[in-house]
Amino acid sequence: MRYISIFFQYVAQYMKTRLTYRVDMVIEIMSDLLFQAVNLVFILVVFSHTQFLSGWTRDEIIFIYGFFLVPYAIFGAFFNIWDFNERYIVKGELDRILTRPIHSLFQIILERMELESLFGVITGVAIMFYAGGRLDLTVSWYDPFIFVMMVLGGAAVYAGIFILLACISFWSDSRTSIMPMMYNIGNYGRYPVDIYNNVIRFVLTWILPFAFVGVYPSAYFLGREEWYNYAFLTPFVGIACLSISVVVWNIGVTKYRGAGN
Amino acid sequence: MENIIHVEQLRKEFKSYSSRSGLKGAFRDLFTRNYKIMPAVNDISFQVQPGEMVGYIGENGAGKSTSIKMLTGILTPTSGMVSVNGMNPHKERERFVQTIGVVFGQRSQLWWDIAVQESFRLLKKVYNVSDQAYKDHMEHVIESLDIGPLLDKPVRKLSLGQRMRCELAAALLHNPTLLFLDEPTIGLDVLVKLKIRNFLKEMNERYNTTILLTTHDLSDIEALCDRVIMLDEGSVIYDGKLAQLRSNWGEGKQIQFQFADSNITELKLSMVCNELPVEWVQGNRNNIWIASVKNDESVISALIGKVVAAHKITDIKIQEITTEEIIRNIYEEGIVYG
Amino acid sequence: MAKYIEMIRIRFLMMLAYRTNYYSGILIYSINIGAYYFLWGAIYGGSESIEGISVTQMTTYVAVAWMARAFYFNNIDREIAQEIKEGKVAIEFIRPYNYLVMKTMQGLGEGLFRLLFFSVPGMIIVALVFPISFSASIETWGYFAIAIIFSFIINTQINILTGVLTFFLFNNDGLIRAKRVIIDLFSGLLLPISFYPGWAQELMNFLPFQAISYIPSMIFTDGFAGSEATQAILFQIIWALLLIIPIQLFWLFAKKRLVVQGG
Repeated sequence: MRYISIFFQYVAQYMKTRLTYRVDMVIEIMSDLLFQAVNLVFILVVFSHTQFLSGWTRDEIIFIYGFFLVPYAIFGAFFNIWDFNERYIVKGELDRILTRPIHSLFQIILERMELESLFGVITGVAIMFYAGGRLDLTVSWYDPFIFVMMVLGGAAVYAGIFILLACISFWSDSRTSIMPMMYNIGNYGRYPVDIYNNVIRFVLTWILPFAFVGVYPSAYFLGREEWYNYAFLTPFVGIACLSISVVVWNIGVTKYRGAGN
Repeated sequence: MENIIHVEQLRKEFKSYSSRSGLKGAFRDLFTRNYKIMPAVNDISFQVQPGEMVGYIGENGAGKSTSIKMLTGILTPTSGMVSVNGMNPHKERERFVQTIGVVFGQRSQLWWDIAVQESFRLLKKVYNVSDQAYKDHMEHVIESLDIGPLLDKPVRKLSLGQRMRCELAAALLHNPTLLFLDEPTIGLDVLVKLKIRNFLKEMNERYNTTILLTTHDLSDIEALCDRVIMLDEGSVIYDGKLAQLRSNWGEGKQIQFQFADSNITELKLSMVCNELPVEWVQGNRNNIWIASVKNDESVISALIGKVVAAHKITDIKIQEITTEEIIRNIYEEGIVYG
Repeated sequence: MAKYIEMIRIRFLMMLAYRTNYYSGILIYSINIGAYYFLWGAIYGGSESIEGISVTQMTTYVAVAWMARAFYFNNIDREIAQEIKEGKVAIEFIRPYNYLVMKTMQGLGEGLFRLLFFSVPGMIIVALVFPISFSASIETWGYFAIAIIFSFIINTQINILTGVLTFFLFNNDGLIRAKRVIIDLFSGLLLPISFYPGWAQELMNFLPFQAISYIPSMIFTDGFAGSEATQAILFQIIWALLLIIPIQLFWLFAKKRLVVQGG
């Protein structure tokens, strides 16, 4: 309860600072939109040369992409701690975090949130409606609830993976550029996993389970029954990822060496 | 009385890599690395009672920061026992930090872009301070530190002295019983330093706040602390009263003579006072010589009498050895316990 | 000159020091190449070639595009932006070297490291796993060597340009991110330029981005040969020269601004 009220206190503070730098905010949202457009362009260009991708149509792939944008937006708003190593470990900001009576990870999430990313939810849903309309998908009364579950599961998968990557900094004090490169890998979960060979499919399902942020949950809404088992695993995989990452984080904090001074 | 800080055989080791030199060495480092384990804090023990103001001193790399970070729950000790406010700082971190205040002189607790009072409001939420408690306590703090007019300014617009006073207020927002100050006066001018010192004294008298202070500025310690703990190479080399440190190590006096004749030499001087226990060092000009003697009236009088009788002088000064010199002497001579 | 070479050497050594980076980099580049290999396999489906590029050529294209990226890619845009924000650039002005050249040399040091310890061994490993064709003609290798040098130059110039813009914007993060996305798409890293619809190709001929990835990769896969290759390199040279103008202009303005505002 206390955490929720602290959360809103931070959000209010965030809004205040953000509104003072409005131009920044607009640029940020524009660059997000651009980022989303680029991937759409890729799909459109590719499908100007082919009809199917392993039996999936253009609109299905676009739908998956639209779905992916929603959990990704939530991840981007709260868990996008790619500069954790530099900011908190190298510069020693974690010292300050650790002298406050709130869980350290929660504080960092609050300090690094970027609520502009949530605009991605709108883009994503719009793309889903566009593709869904062309595919004549029907919506049942319970679908919105399942959608929310799937989205939260997907966001938790992303969050878990990136928190685990941030945890590397507790053990290795060297700079790593794993984080930026991981964004590319995250993209592969947006394509039907049956196009990959078994090794990559296994990696995307069980090691870096990015497939649970795109293709698996979308398969449910696209009515692809052969993937339903995986689709309904989404929330559980999300919980598992997030839990593991928090446990590793808690261990990692005890290995923190402090900034050199 | 119950100890507020109890440290027993506390130790922290760091693994450090040594890189090989040159391109070939760097390439070898890619596959195997040389590393060694260095103790930054080497089995230290001490206790602090409630209401004490303790100066924590040592050279860079003596283990000050590392031990403070273990006391505040930031770092996990390699071994040993540490209990602060009756808790294990690292194990019960979130509950524990509720009872302490921390100021890092070189790191801001406040949010850069927002007004000071917004930072306070956020911290009030974070520390779960009730409106009533905040009002009772902080009104006084704000007044004593004279930061009322600064509250609606963003932190980035404040001068260092203004910011530091706000930092101090922020650290005291939840009225902690124990305050850690790491270089709180670094880079500040004399007036601000005085203000901060007076404020700390007042806090200590009013709330019986225990204060642990690390600083390079020994005048802070002289003004505030009765007790000092001195670290060197990860070990405690002195723990006791500041006054005792002065009387043990600073028992001597220095007498500076400025002679009219610039051809004065050590030989001439020691011939004049051969039977007296005195050491001569040349000052920053060649007609200035400094005699270090024991703090004893008869010796001092005899020395001055003999020197003045033998050589013409233009100036004379008698100085007590400063704490800074005492500490420098201790580090140079590396003497453990006096 | 010696100090610039020293800078390359220092960066080279720094890269060696970060070994987590090194190992993780190899892993991630392989995953990237692997995933794109299968993605393209699925896109090709049954067809032999799309837009005159065969499946094997495409695989080679993907592999070499990523490996070349390891060479030309650097973070100096972010570094410059950071140093401007922290006010360190003012100090750089009183140092006896050209700041921008120094930054370029740092980028080159990193690039050379990755080329030698990363791209070359990586390419050999990738060639063992995936069907990749290496050209037998010495001419192709020669052209490729020239082309990747220019991809480094042009990419670095664009990075410098984005970095220096920090002087004029309050917060440059959005722009830097946007630039990165545009380069990924329009440089030909993700998609060969010839896959785009005609009008888009026309448009991209007026932009420098394809010089970064498309040109060297096409040369390597023998997609460009003979006069096509020389023309492509000419395209790179022209852009490398053209980009000097805005950089110098912005840098001049930036210096003036710095003098006026005092950093």
